[in-house]
Amino acid sequence: MNIIKTLLLLSALLSGAAIADISVVVNPANANAVSADELSRLFLGRASSFADGTKATPLNLAEGLPARDEFDSKVLSRSASQLKAYWSKLVFTGKGTPPKELVDDAAVKAAVASDASAIGYISSASVDGSVKVVATF
Amino acid sequence: MFKKSLLAVSLAGLLAAPAYADVTINGFASINAGIALDKNDSLYGYDDSLDFKNESLFAIQIMSDLGEKLSVTAQLMGRGSNDFDVGFEWAFISYQINDDWRINAGRLRTPFYKYSDFRDVGYSYDWLRVPQSVYGLGYDNIEGVSLYHTTQLGSFDSSLQFVAGTYDGIGYISGNDLNVKFNDIVGVTWELSQDWFSVRAAYLAAKVTIGIDSIQLNATTTVGGVLAGLSNAGLDALVSEIDVADENGAFLGLGFTLDKNDWLVVAEYTTVKVSKSFVGDKESYYGSVGHRFDKLTPYVSYEKEKRDVKTAIYTPYTTTLPQPTLGAVVGIVQSQNRDANTYNVGLRYDFHPSAAFKVQYSSEDNNIADVRQSVLALGVDLVF
Repeated sequence: MNIIKTLLLLSALLSGAAIADISVVVNPANANAVSADELSRLFLGRASSFADGTKATPLNLAEGLPARDEFDSKVLSRSASQLKAYWSKLVFTGKGTPPKELVDDAAVKAAVASDASAIGYISSASVDGSVKVVATF
Repeated sequence: MFKKSLLAVSLAGLLAAPAYADVTINGFASINAGIALDKNDSLYGYDDSLDFKNESLFAIQIMSDLGEKLSVTAQLMGRGSNDFDVGFEWAFISYQINDDWRINAGRLRTPFYKYSDFRDVGYSYDWLRVPQSVYGLGYDNIEGVSLYHTTQLGSFDSSLQFVAGTYDGIGYISGNDLNVKFNDIVGVTWELSQDWFSVRAAYLAAKVTIGIDSIQLNATTTVGGVLAGLSNAGLDALVSEIDVADENGAFLGLGFTLDKNDWLVVAEYTTVKVSKSFVGDKESYYGSVGHRFDKLTPYVSYEKEKRDVKTAIYTPYTTTLPQPTLGAVVGIVQSQNRDANTYNVGLRYDFHPSAAFKVQYSSEDNNIADVRQSVLALGVDLVF
């Protein structure tokens, strides 16, 4: 009986974790809604402002972090090497620079909490009151 | 006290200053080895001995953001084919006028093709080399200005580029390295892209001058000598049909790309014309299909290059011109004759987050000389 309960609890936890793995976060003062398409455009350098016209500063997690891989595949629908090829086309022609990379969730939260233009993403488990969630994937 | 705070202020100013000159250094490299597969073959700079230098290159790019929407970018590149002598491949200042408009000035890449801007960055595409039937024209850099306009049109991103400038360098024409000058280059390119689809058109025009006088027709005859002889005989009209002195040159390029469900399709079509000159009208195209299997991307492509011979230049003179002058004129005009098709089979393997291994077999069928030549090349492209 106990084993079944534990298993049920465990599976609930696991599936729960799979439903909302990453949260896209902005500064609490930022009132903009951000659609998946807008998010993709911001992180691919195709747009540079929020819906209300104010400047947006996308912040990436460092390469190799699980949340980064998840964001790349779920939101940008590209593999890490496809994205690297994509950015190398822009970087080496002076047409754009990839979003700044931060080392972990804490660094993203700190940057987003202190910058009204910032938009980043973190593991949903790291979300706290210092940032505002605008989307989950 | 006052002095101290002044010192503090100026120190703070000094410390703050470097933050404005935000310098980014990036680089890319390709290390390729190749060999022609028959002892008489010679293709893309390879012969029948294994060569590690011909298609290898290293480049460092320094971009300095000067703030206030102004930046300066320089790309230093050393190509193995040029003994890794380092030169400025790109060097320009860029000013972002507003969200939609940007202006670049300096040494720029001539925007002939879809992959012109990043043709040297092998990592950014799947082929080992860009299709040479189309991309082998030369004249890849110009000195000038470029105005970019980017905007959203419905579900498409629109990228419009206007370019103006000059080119002064060497061109490979009829088997000779010749001095080539393009004056009054003006061009426009337009690309519409969606997530998985893009179309592009480019048109460039210029006043073209090519120093053909030095071409050696045989041990004792140069093109310059033949043209001088024709001019002395009162045939200036014929001379002006042959020489390339401030003639109207035009380039047209069309292309599309498709990247959906891991299928990758690319095709480009180009034409090049130089009026009132011996330079034949060139038409070339390629099509490429690949499929991404996670880290492996195999592809096949087909290329065609054709340059017509302007026989109309000499046909009015076939009965009146004496030999050997007629033979020389026919020789000059016929030297443009080119008709070749090439197929390529290759593979990209993303074995590392910043590096890709590639291998490509290329086989060119030269229909004029009736010879088939093949090259096998492999190497690693990386970005850093």
